[in-house]
Amino acid sequence: MSSLWWWALPVLLLPILWHRQKREQTRSAPLASARFLPVAQPKQLRVWRWNDPLLLLLRCLLLAALIALLADLVLPWRGDSVLVVPGTPAALVDKEAAALPDARRIALPDRDAVDWLHAHEREFKPEARLLVVGDIAMPATLPRFRHAVRLRAHSVAAARAERHVAVFSTRPEAWRRLFAAPQGGVRTVIDARPGPKTALVVWDLPEAPPATLRAPLWWVALADHQHARVFPELAHAVRVGAIQYADSARGRLWTMDAWPLADADGARALLAAWERLAHPAQPWTAPPMTMAPDAAAPAGPAGGALRELLSIALLVLFALERMLAHVRRR
Amino acid sequence: MLDSGALIAHTTKLELVIRHVLAGLGHGIHAGRERGAGVEFSEYRAYAPGDEWRRVDWKLMARADRYFVREAERDSHVAVWLVLDATASMLEPSRSMPLTKLQYARVILACVAAIAQRQGDAFGLVVCQGERAHVTPAARGPRQLQRVLAQLNRTEAEGTLPGQDTLRASLHFSAAPSAVFVAGDFLDWPSPLSEAVLRLRRMRHDVRALCLQTEAEVEGGFDPALAYRDPEWGEGVFRFGPDVRAAYLRNRDAHFAQVVADCRKNDLPMLCARIEQAPGEVLRTWLNKRVYAAVRT
Repeated sequence: MSSLWWWALPVLLLPILWHRQKREQTRSAPLASARFLPVAQPKQLRVWRWNDPLLLLLRCLLLAALIALLADLVLPWRGDSVLVVPGTPAALVDKEAAALPDARRIALPDRDAVDWLHAHEREFKPEARLLVVGDIAMPATLPRFRHAVRLRAHSVAAARAERHVAVFSTRPEAWRRLFAAPQGGVRTVIDARPGPKTALVVWDLPEAPPATLRAPLWWVALADHQHARVFPELAHAVRVGAIQYADSARGRLWTMDAWPLADADGARALLAAWERLAHPAQPWTAPPMTMAPDAAAPAGPAGGALRELLSIALLVLFALERMLAHVRRR
Repeated sequence: MLDSGALIAHTTKLELVIRHVLAGLGHGIHAGRERGAGVEFSEYRAYAPGDEWRRVDWKLMARADRYFVREAERDSHVAVWLVLDATASMLEPSRSMPLTKLQYARVILACVAAIAQRQGDAFGLVVCQGERAHVTPAARGPRQLQRVLAQLNRTEAEGTLPGQDTLRASLHFSAAPSAVFVAGDFLDWPSPLSEAVLRLRRMRHDVRALCLQTEAEVEGGFDPALAYRDPEWGEGVFRFGPDVRAAYLRNRDAHFAQVVADCRKNDLPMLCARIEQAPGEVLRTWLNKRVYAAVRT
């Protein structure tokens, strides 16, 4: 949509026309004996000459920069590339990249290579070949690109995850039993002291926690009358099923009427809820495939790669134009 | 010897140029009627710088402790009138040297004035400029020369010729016998000036006309790249090129043939001179002979 702004380029003709010298009279000199010469038509020479060429140049550049900014100019500068999904072994990348020896390697921010490629496809030259290596997330629909793209997907066995929990309670054994309940592929480590890796703090003490203690999730196991004193945010807690939650400066707070310290099903449901919050479902690995370039593929969304540069250029050009115009007027 | 043309172009000191031009010319070109000091004593006059020392009365100086000059009575008075056409067209420059027709005419008339002063004739100046005629009344003596030279130096070329009535009122001297020296370009012919000049000639005055031209005008050598306009008429643009050169020369020759024919008919000597020529030579020819054509270079 923003590329429609390129149709505004004829606006550049305006300063060019404004700066054109309106008309140029034939340069004439006085000559006493001119009366013996034949009369010539006083020629309005339509010379193509512009006054203040520097100002004209600045104004044209200003307009061009503005249009480029609005049209979200993206210059194709990337050639053959190997896109590497994070976590892919280097040996695997080297093996797959042998087909494109001169290709630059680009480390992707996450597994969703197709999404990234859609967003950045305009940065690639038309003849560029792309190879994506790693544990690529499978897209919902078959992707279409304007470039030749090969997906070389290799699923990587997910490392056994660890979660660190800090328990502040007068009944730590009961909590330990809760976390010992089997959870698919996730091991829970109960730390004596909370650290930077701590994902969950269990607060089962009547006094207020230290002000510096922060964690993404807090389980608050206090009687209701103690909430107002220790965690005043829980007064406005929202109930979802058995769990009430509220957000505080320390992190998200969960509380329940009855913590399922002795109930195996309740404990499983609670841990599954925590698992869903901390680790949403991971997409499947996309199958290996080769996609031919499709010229009709929709262009990616706004690139914005040059937006900052163009904005600065616009500002500088505007300032220069104003100054020069002011100087010329004096 | 320094070229007089270059000297005119580079100095505004007319006295210097006059001395330079008149160096080889000598006195007595014009038939002056002055009998010299002491022929018939008229009066004493206070000395003025420029008076000849031999005319100072030394005995009177011994008595009065002042310088006095003996003025002689003259038999007759021939006034010399200098008429300068200073219209805008006289700004026409020589295309080969930094000199305009006006500068040249100014020098020639200044030389005539200097000669008249040397001979003791009264001389006056009429400058036709900007539709008016500035008259410096005729008088004699060194101070008059300074006055005339200053007036000549002040003159800037502008405007057109004055009307016939203005000229007739200005040339009021026509009753006394006079020698009239007219310098101009005579591109306007007939014009109020030409009518006045011919009228003076018909009244038996000794009228001499100097028609100033430039080499480029005579040979048709203008820059074809430029358009030209008439400095006096103002409107219209004129074009010059190799294709119109012949037509230009034909028109110009026809015009000046008419001018010379009119002069010849009225027995008015006219000298056509190019401003690139040495002023001394032009002056000698103008004063000596009754010419109706150009000076040979």
